[in-house]
Amino acid sequence: MSKLNRRNFMSLAGASGAALAAGVGTSKKALAGNVTFENGGRDFSPVTGKERKAIPTACWQCVTRDSMMGYVEDGRLKKLEGHPGSIRTLGKLCAKGQAGVNQVYFPDRILHPLQRVGKRGEHKWKKISWDAALDLVASKLKPLRDAGTPELFMYQYGRHKASQAATMYDFMGAYGTKTIGNHTSVCEAAKWVGQESLWGGMYDNWDYDKTDYVVNFGSNQFETHTNHIPTSQRLIRAMVDRGVPLYTFDVRLSNTAAKSTEWVPINPGNDGLVMLAMINVIMNEGLFREDHFKYMRVSADHHATTDQKIAAIKAEVAEFTPAFAESRSGVPAAKIAEIARGFAKAKSACLVTYRGTVMHFHGADQERAAMLLAAITNNLDTPGGRVMGVGAGWSAPSTPAAKIHKGLHIKDGFKGEAAFPTHHVSHQVGPVIKDGHAGRPKVYWWSCYNPAFINGDNKEWSSILQDESIMPFLITSTITYDESSQYADLILPDVTYLERWDWEDMVSANQIAEFYIRQPLIKPLGEARCQGDVWPDLAKRIGFELAWTDKKDFVRQSCEMTSGVKEAGGFDYMMKEGVWHDPNDKGNYGFYAKEVDVSGDGVILDAKTGVYWNWKKAGVASEADAMSAGYLGTKGAKSSYVAQHIEGKALSAYAPNTSFTKSGLLDFYSDNFKGKGLPAFPTFTPTPEHEAMADDELIMTTYKVAVHSHSRTTHCKWLAEIKHDNPGWINSKTAADRGIKDGDAIKVHNGLGEITTTAYVTEGIVPGVIAISHHFGRQHSGIYGSGKSNPIDGGASPDPDAKNMNWKKHGVHPNAIIPNSSDPISGTQRWMDTVVRVEKA
Amino acid sequence: MATPRNDMKEMAIARANVYGLLADVFREEPSESFLLKLAEPEFSGILNALDFSLDDMFSNISHSQLTEGLALEFTRLFIGPGSHISPHESMHTQARFGEPNSLWGASTVEVKKFMEAAGLKVDDSFSGMPDHITAELEFMQQLLLEEAKAWTKEDNGIGINIQNIEKRFYDEHLSQWIVNFCDKVIAAGPHPFYKQFSEVTKAFIEFEKETLQDLLDEVSEDGRLSA
Repeated sequence: MSKLNRRNFMSLAGASGAALAAGVGTSKKALAGNVTFENGGRDFSPVTGKERKAIPTACWQCVTRDSMMGYVEDGRLKKLEGHPGSIRTLGKLCAKGQAGVNQVYFPDRILHPLQRVGKRGEHKWKKISWDAALDLVASKLKPLRDAGTPELFMYQYGRHKASQAATMYDFMGAYGTKTIGNHTSVCEAAKWVGQESLWGGMYDNWDYDKTDYVVNFGSNQFETHTNHIPTSQRLIRAMVDRGVPLYTFDVRLSNTAAKSTEWVPINPGNDGLVMLAMINVIMNEGLFREDHFKYMRVSADHHATTDQKIAAIKAEVAEFTPAFAESRSGVPAAKIAEIARGFAKAKSACLVTYRGTVMHFHGADQERAAMLLAAITNNLDTPGGRVMGVGAGWSAPSTPAAKIHKGLHIKDGFKGEAAFPTHHVSHQVGPVIKDGHAGRPKVYWWSCYNPAFINGDNKEWSSILQDESIMPFLITSTITYDESSQYADLILPDVTYLERWDWEDMVSANQIAEFYIRQPLIKPLGEARCQGDVWPDLAKRIGFELAWTDKKDFVRQSCEMTSGVKEAGGFDYMMKEGVWHDPNDKGNYGFYAKEVDVSGDGVILDAKTGVYWNWKKAGVASEADAMSAGYLGTKGAKSSYVAQHIEGKALSAYAPNTSFTKSGLLDFYSDNFKGKGLPAFPTFTPTPEHEAMADDELIMTTYKVAVHSHSRTTHCKWLAEIKHDNPGWINSKTAADRGIKDGDAIKVHNGLGEITTTAYVTEGIVPGVIAISHHFGRQHSGIYGSGKSNPIDGGASPDPDAKNMNWKKHGVHPNAIIPNSSDPISGTQRWMDTVVRVEKA
Repeated sequence: MATPRNDMKEMAIARANVYGLLADVFREEPSESFLLKLAEPEFSGILNALDFSLDDMFSNISHSQLTEGLALEFTRLFIGPGSHISPHESMHTQARFGEPNSLWGASTVEVKKFMEAAGLKVDDSFSGMPDHITAELEFMQQLLLEEAKAWTKEDNGIGINIQNIEKRFYDEHLSQWIVNFCDKVIAAGPHPFYKQFSEVTKAFIEFEKETLQDLLDEVSEDGRLSA
């Protein structure tokens, strides 16, 4: 190429002019408007011309989904802060939330639709238009629908909540597929199944504003809790302002344990046993409170007296003495008794559990033990105790479901794997599809989900996604190139949560529902499109219409049809204020004690269970038939539940709102469990793999750190700078037995494979265990998470700031040696039961 | 008749043409019709005179195959996933603003303000950000066409004013990153199409440095062009 001078420049200009005049380039323009210097245009002061807008919106970095404020300057998101008007968050936002800015602007972000042109995993892509992309999707989906097989389209999601989920389900219903997978089994399904078997619903809250005593099993409350910001600050305030003690039972000295009144180290899988021992102490020392016993069923008899119930509970927990619990859990019997007494004697007390308790063999039963401990001390659904959470109840537009609306039975694991997979067995979706006996989807679309990273045995998941004979056509909606999207046939660039509309409904910490919305802070970058905008477009291409035109319209309609929000000013009010709650709401306490009118047509009392139910609503032919079959003997009768007969009154009690058919009593004695050969009453069931361990084997547990979600934050450089490596925590004695010193490279292995990490030798973990967090060891997801931005060897990062990346380690992914293994009760993934050997590398 | 104003107008239109062409090159993958035009002797002859040859590109391959190949190359070079050369100024120059590089960085804001101050904004249909190379080149094209209008209307004041704005935009933005950007593209071992056009772009941006100063010097030295 010659250097340009004026003469040859004019040749180039001539050629350029000819090309432009011929219109042979694109006719598109980057800029709109006209040059208007004469009219002044817009002017900006170089010093003071900045106009910063504060826009209420909501976080999505984790499921807590805090309401927050986004500060936008010149079309650029500058800062995120808590929403000062929120009764949930009280104006706070965690580090993850504040780093949400990184989600928008990280340089490795996917910004255009990409079609695979090489083999799966070969990383060869072609940018295509949205029109071409959606035409391609429609060409795959329409024939399935037209052929009456809509179930052969499977959609699976990770984080979908509120209107993000509602819009998706509306589309899927109108399309006709019920083959919709989630991710809950890798999260905490056992906790919900345990609760649903008792109080009919799910999601407990802890009334820290009113409590006097807190006992925490396996929840990293101060770092990563599912409702982190709303609850953590309230617990801290309770401890500091009111001197409330916090006892944390945990395998590891988490930051929550470190900030507790006392960390009580406990061997993995024994939380429920310690709770049963606490119940033993409380019952035998007469420290229980009878207030809630009338709502409890603890034996086969629905009508047992309080004395009979006391006797039954004592009998059930008799073998679980503190001494026995000590022998398995490692917690001193005296400590168990001390905390049991403190818990029972406190005016009010919270019993907290989470993944450390439930992600085990029979994890759901351990949650049932927690509920029993709360109930016998009258700390269940009472102020200051463990209460049923409340979130916003939105009304929303709805499209009629398709005439053919069905699903493949591939969401609940293998046959017989889980007795009550009410939240499905998401980690086994891939293996079940591979197995093929329950059918295989022809199109598999996942969103905000990374199955080849977040599930157990993730390498197996990778191989399944890579195999076109198992998974014929793969679509993903994503913002980042990751372990799963590398195998997609079509990548659709999703917006970040800071570029889209939603209404939100996460549970409040103060029992008063808060309605809040998410609104876009900026225009989506590149060609990123919100899925809520894609669904109506795709529906038209397939041949049907939705009841809303785009996500904004869905949110607008919802605001105008939701009682309370509508009267407050509807969509305009929510756009301006972001949050709304009923100022007259006193909080959701004691709902179970409300008297119910049972005089309605068709309502009868079932003598066996004490349930008032409506036989007409249940579809029974006659009252005589209903009386004969009884409430429990009538299929679907639970949907016609009206009230529970308690002490001469018809009370709302604990209605069976989920898939469990039960009375209005807390089913601590569960016919459902018994019918499946499971313990009817909460008990201790040893973990088979742990019972069979050799002397040199350890239990591997996983955990979360404060600044990362499972798989959606390692590309956020502010967070990766804080945490980017995950050494294995190992007790000094356990390490010494293996000749391992702090900082040594260690191999962790079992029959599934081997990983190498470094040893963090500490007294902050119980002996016999190695704990490795599960965020790191990314294969892809950008330079900050994986250390490489290019899926193919070589190449530089598109982000020159990467030269400032002062860390070389990017961790290791423990899921490679964690099998997909389900709790036989709930189908939850048993993250905390893996048996390994550890040795110096 | 050659007058100083006609010279200025001719030069403005000529520069606008080049800016416009280069803006198209980096906007998206080239269309088959565009490639066909490049292959015409009339066009390629002019390019050959600049030692700028795309002839090899067309040999032994159909135009449709070439179009498909360039679509993949455009994706690899400028889109990703993974390592790519972002065609945005903020990914190359943030250090002078004391901020790390990111999409929608401080320089993006500066460019956006500059454009808005001139009455222009990024079109809703354009998927790039305001500091995308195409937007910046097109912005210069628009300024130059406006400058040409001013010379046609014999409004020396506006013409000179726009020249100064072009110089400022060039100094503050184009000169800060496009040569470096082109070097990165060339170093990535691209398809000849992008190698050649990156070299042309680089040469043109370097040429513009002298040209802009020369034009302003001419204005100040020629009393017939005073405002």
